[in-house]
Amino acid sequence: MSPLANLAITLVIAGFAGLAIIGWPRGSGASWPQRVPFLGGGSQTTHAWQRYHLRYYPMTLLFIAFEMEMMFMYPWAVVYVEEGLKALGEMAMFLSILSVGIVYAWREGVFRWQ
Amino acid sequence: MSLLQRVQSWAPVPVYPVTGEGGAAPMQGLRLRPALTFVSSIRHASVLLVCGNIREADRPALRRLHDQLAHPRATFWWRAEPLSDAADPVSDTSDDPVEALCRLDRLLRTGARTSEADWLPNEPPNPWKGEGAHGQGGKGMMGGVPYGRPMAMTDQDLRDGLMLDAMTLRLGPFAPMLPAGLSLELTLQGDVVQAARVLTPVYADKAPREHASLWQAADLLNLLGLEALALQCRSVVEKPGFSRRKLLDAARRAGAFLAIPPNLGRAGVTDVRSRLRSALLGDDHGISADILDLVELLVGCEWQEAMLVINSFTRDQLIRIAPVTPEQADGEGAANPSRVPMQHHGAHG
Repeated sequence: MSPLANLAITLVIAGFAGLAIIGWPRGSGASWPQRVPFLGGGSQTTHAWQRYHLRYYPMTLLFIAFEMEMMFMYPWAVVYVEEGLKALGEMAMFLSILSVGIVYAWREGVFRWQ
Repeated sequence: MSLLQRVQSWAPVPVYPVTGEGGAAPMQGLRLRPALTFVSSIRHASVLLVCGNIREADRPALRRLHDQLAHPRATFWWRAEPLSDAADPVSDTSDDPVEALCRLDRLLRTGARTSEADWLPNEPPNPWKGEGAHGQGGKGMMGGVPYGRPMAMTDQDLRDGLMLDAMTLRLGPFAPMLPAGLSLELTLQGDVVQAARVLTPVYADKAPREHASLWQAADLLNLLGLEALALQCRSVVEKPGFSRRKLLDAARRAGAFLAIPPNLGRAGVTDVRSRLRSALLGDDHGISADILDLVELLVGCEWQEAMLVINSFTRDQLIRIAPVTPEQADGEGAANPSRVPMQHHGAHG
């Protein structure tokens, strides 16, 4: 049999084995009072589906900026010595484009601890 | 008893503590017993341990808590009057209930004692089904009230003016992170407290101050994630010769004071840091009479900060600064949980 067919059969068997181990999906059997959210005895007046501020997003954007720098610097470092000044110039252009974003984030107070 | 059941019986009994009036001191003593594990979530417990007198106002909360226990479950009434809902209650008035608790847990695990039935009727807390034969139509899921609770509506954020959802919930009176008896109605945007209201006051505590201060310090250290140090605070209660300065130094080395933001929960000359220090040393840190309302300190705090502020006050101080807040009229306050959002889809059926 082809490797793909082998893989498909393996996945199907593994899937059924997993379901058998967990005892086939079934309802939890919990009663309505058991399903109430745990609040130390308290109750909830509004739904728990709420949108909240993702306060770490500036950190995420900053991480992506530096991560992209790193990602291109690794292969660049391998060929830098033989390419010489041309490679240095290209990396300088790349870094300057990224630093525009970082300087903008700096002005927006991303580095300010709050 | 099978081998598995025998091995299971060696494990500590997971109990969820419910402390009533006069139950604080006995319950703190039980926390040191290795045969018991005090869990923070009702779902992890198999025994609901009730100690002390439960106020009439708190009994509905106790019923809700009981029904949230996973099966097999039992309630152990230690120096507490069982509720009328409890069929075949297990009571104990002795000084040491650990053996009785372990026996109860063994009976539950082996199936010799049946799991307790629900005390509340098996129906959704907020009816939401429609009017039709199959629950369709009318005001219900499609009317913007999923499972009978209104969606959290947007409201202006306190810190930076964004419009975020404000969720209102009632926490307590037996929440693990709040002092026993205290229940709060909190309006949260994410983890920031937007509004707070005291629903029931904290239970009074008659324990000697030198013991109560150590328990208070242990609760604060637990909130900071320093469980080993908290256990040490509880264990030295019975060792009067122990130098409390050593506890203070250990807390400082562990970074407990650095983890608390400076000037958090400022009440006159004290803040959370200084109150933790006083609790560890057993000093009396009287708070300024200017601070009349705990709610004012909580608004604008993040969740962790709010819990630290609440637990940094002694029970007597909390009774003074956290009286029951009367309900405001509709439309006032940061969020109105009874406000039903717009009908997006119109009526059906």
